[in-house]
Formats: sequence, structure tokens, C-alpha cells
Amino acid sequence: MHSITLIQGILLSVMAIICGFDFWLEGLYLFRPIIVCTLTGLILGDLHIGLLAGGLTELAFAGLTPVGGTQPPNPILAGVMTTVIAYTSNLDVKTAIGLALPFSFLMQYVILFYYSAFSVFMAKAEKYADEADIVKFGRLNILMIVIVGLTYGIVVFLCTYIAQEPMKALVASMPVWLSHGFEIAGGILPAVGFGLLLKVMLKLEFVPFLIIGFIFASFVHFSNLLPVALIGTALAIYVYYNDKNKVIVTQSANNEGEGDDYNDGI
Amino acid sequence: MITMTESSRKLTKSDITKLAFRSVFLQSSFNYERMQAGGWLYAMLPFLKKIHGDDKAKLSQSMKDNLEFINTNPTLVGFLMGLVLSLEENNEDRSLIKGIKVALFGPLAGIGDAIFWFTVLPIVAGISASFANEGSVLGPIIFFLCYCGVFATRIIWTRLGYSVGVKAIGSLQEHSAAISRSATILGVTVIGALIASYVHINVISTIAIGGGHSIGIQKDFFDKILPNILPFGYTFLMYFLLKKKNINPTILILCTFIGAIILSFMGVL
Repeated sequence: MHSITLIQGILLSVMAIICGFDFWLEGLYLFRPIIVCTLTGLILGDLHIGLLAGGLTELAFAGLTPVGGTQPPNPILAGVMTTVIAYTSNLDVKTAIGLALPFSFLMQYVILFYYSAFSVFMAKAEKYADEADIVKFGRLNILMIVIVGLTYGIVVFLCTYIAQEPMKALVASMPVWLSHGFEIAGGILPAVGFGLLLKVMLKLEFVPFLIIGFIFASFVHFSNLLPVALIGTALAIYVYYNDKNKVIVTQSANNEGEGDDYNDGI
Repeated sequence: MITMTESSRKLTKSDITKLAFRSVFLQSSFNYERMQAGGWLYAMLPFLKKIHGDDKAKLSQSMKDNLEFINTNPTLVGFLMGLVLSLEENNEDRSLIKGIKVALFGPLAGIGDAIFWFTVLPIVAGISASFANEGSVLGPIIFFLCYCGVFATRIIWTRLGYSVGVKAIGSLQEHSAAISRSATILGVTVIGALIASYVHINVISTIAIGGGHSIGIQKDFFDKILPNILPFGYTFLMYFLLKKKNINPTILILCTFIGAIILSFMGVL
């Protein structure tokens, strides 16, 4: 069993503030679990566990995207807590991800609260626009970013440093079937993320490509996904040019059908 | 449609590059009432000021127009910002500027989400996670570099929006369908592989057949039919429940946990 020191708690919360800014703005994707977990692992002095947690949590959150103003379970808290719990309680990262989820839901609701609460600032924004007051309008925007960032810092400090003893006690009191259940769920969890991706992407005409990727990865064992990405690229390029040629063929067919007006000029 | 003499240009090339970087503020005041409107205006504000100069009434009108509801893709938004600024600079009719903005933010969000969230993310995440799972720090490094690259493309979109202006709308609409289709094919292929590689369901129950022998349900049954048939089936169940039954993903996550714990208790998984 490891403990989180005060310094580590502070560093984690600084990291959470930076990643929190990035999550709010969607700039460099520093908020994705693979980055958050790695940084957490570095701060805790156990890079290896950070990488393992990052690989798992990143994929579990693959489909949980903030598209169209929806707010998914929070990837930063999931990343930080999966790594921290695995580290402090010597758990498999698959078990830890399950225990990290409540924290992820907590932050999701905090962000949802801000989405509603910040509507209040819009009246002020309207007033500054009316007065063409650039300085005050800028300050208002920065204020909202700072509120969100600081919230991340505080929440992460509380969850990692302050709450670590009760967390350890909870983990220690778990029977084997329960922690094994968490571990199994951690292994299945990416299915929900992939299901979400497919919900948006999959149409019947794309099913062949899904099967090709699945069968390839099931029977050809390789250490990373680059080969499949290349197969996918090959298929995508093939279809792109196929579509393009079809358009040209139909267009020229139409032109012939439409009569001489168009052909005269060529 | 738009002809501009060089003398009417108030923004320099470096202004447009700055705009690309400032476009990161798009979501700075995200809220349910106007979504990205506050950040949209904040990102463009220095340049609107430069265009309208000391004409407070004009600046105020432009600020109010640009504070109206908008929700689009953060990576591609620079295209629309560049376009709107070129129109503002050219002193176009205010309702034309508004109209073009309103007409384009939705389609831009659609293309951007298809490319960046549903194609680039699964591929980059899949590749970098496969390195990370082996304990290689290359995973997060690859991920970070890819997204620095994605961020850098903002400069391209912003310049494109500003320089090509209204002419670009036609070609954007013409090619967007084919591009999102190809991107989706690539994404779907990779997701197929991700399901096989990263969803783990392993049945440990065995059936005793007498004489001290037993059949492993996983090894002798499921794996004989098709490896990874359970992960594939479960992912499709999730897909079905999300798409056809419109069930909230959070509920599915909780059900997955409850189910896994029950099956663990019973010794099935």
C-alpha cells in the first residue's frame, strides 16, 4: 500500500487544473485518459502503472465524447483516480477503473452544473457587447475558464489526497468476488465506448469494414493497431476514388442524355 | 461574389495565424443558453476591433451579432471565423454575415465531429493505447504529437476560410460527403479491430462430463465457433440498446458493472 504525499496531492491538482482548462476548451486533448494517467503515474513515481491505466481508460472512454453539447463521464477524473487507486491499493488497473467511475460521474455533474450556471453570465456578456467593452468582455470569458480550472484542482486534491484513507479502507474490505467483478467489468467496459462510436458511425453499408477489422485483429496477432489502420486507409482510399469515378460516370451519362447543349462547347 | 481591393484589407497574414490560435477560446464560456457564442466572439474580438476601429456603434453591432447562439466543431471553427472576418472586413451586409454563419456552423460541426471525434480519436487512441498497454511511453507521446498536429491544422482551416472566403462553401459541400464517408470507413475498420483487441470476456465455467473430465465453455465452445465472439456480441448489444432503445450510456456502464459482479459472484466469469 502506497500513500499520496501532500506534495503529490498538490502536483496532481496542478496537473488537473491544466488538463481541466484543456478539457473545457478542447485544445490539445491533454484531458484524454492516456495523457492524464501517464502524468499521474509520473507524479506518483510509477510511470508503468500510469501507462497501463492510460491504455485501458483511454479505450474505455473512446466513445464517451462531448459532441454536440452533451457531457460524458469525466475523462480527467477517471484517469487520475484509476491510476491513484491502482497505485495506493495495489490493485489491477481493471479493478481500479470501476472504483474510479463514481469520481468520473461526480465531475460530469459538476460540469453539467456549470453549463447551466454560466447561462447567467450571458446577460452581462450582452451588456458588454452593447457597450463595445472589449476589456470587460474578455475578463468575463477568462473568469469562466478560471472557475472551471480551479474546480478541477480542488476536486482532484480532495479525491486523491484527503480521501485516500477511507478509499484504502473501502478497497481492503472488498471481498474477492467483488474486486474480481470490478476487474471483469473493467475488461468489458470498452464495449460501451465502442457501442457509442458505432451508434454514430455504423450504417449497414459499413458493416463489411467492421467485420474485416474484427476478423483481422482476431486472427492476426500484432502488438499495435497500425496494420489495421493501414488496411482501413487502403479501403477508405479505394472507396473514395470509386465514389468519385461513379459520380463522373453518372455525370457524363447525364450529359449525353441531356442533349447537345453541353457537348457543343467541348 | 466578393471582390476586395488590397487597400480595404486591414488584417495581415499574421493576424489570421493569431486568430487560428485564439480559436482555442471557442468554448471559454460554454453554457446551455448560447453554447459557444461567448467564446466565439472572444476569439475574434481583437480582430473585430482592428476592423471597426474606433467606430463604437459598428463594433457594438458586430459584437451583438456574434454573441448569438453557435455550436460547432472546435478544430474546424477557424474556417468559419476566417470567413466571417473576411466578410466583416469587406463591410458586407450584416444579415448576410449572420446568414452565412448560421448556415455553416451545423455542417461544419458534422464534418468535424465525423473526422476528429469518430475517426482520428479511435485510431490514435487505439494505436497509442496498444503501446501503453505494453508499458511503452511511446503511447502517450504518439498521442500528444498527433494532437499537436491536429491543433496545427487550425492554421490551415483559418487561412482557408479567410482567403478563399465564400467561394469555399461550394467545394466544401461538394466534397464533404465523400470525405466523411471515407473517414467513417477507416474509423469503422479500426473499431472492428479494437473490439477484438480490447474487450475481454472470458467464461471460466466448465461442464463436468463424468469420469473427472470437463469441458471449458470458453476454450471448447466459444473459441471453437469464433474467437472473440462474446466481445463482438456484447458490443453489438450495447450498440443496439444505445441506438434502437436510446438508453443512456451511463446506465449501460452501471449495468455492465452490476452484471459483471453478479457473474463473478456466481463464478461464471
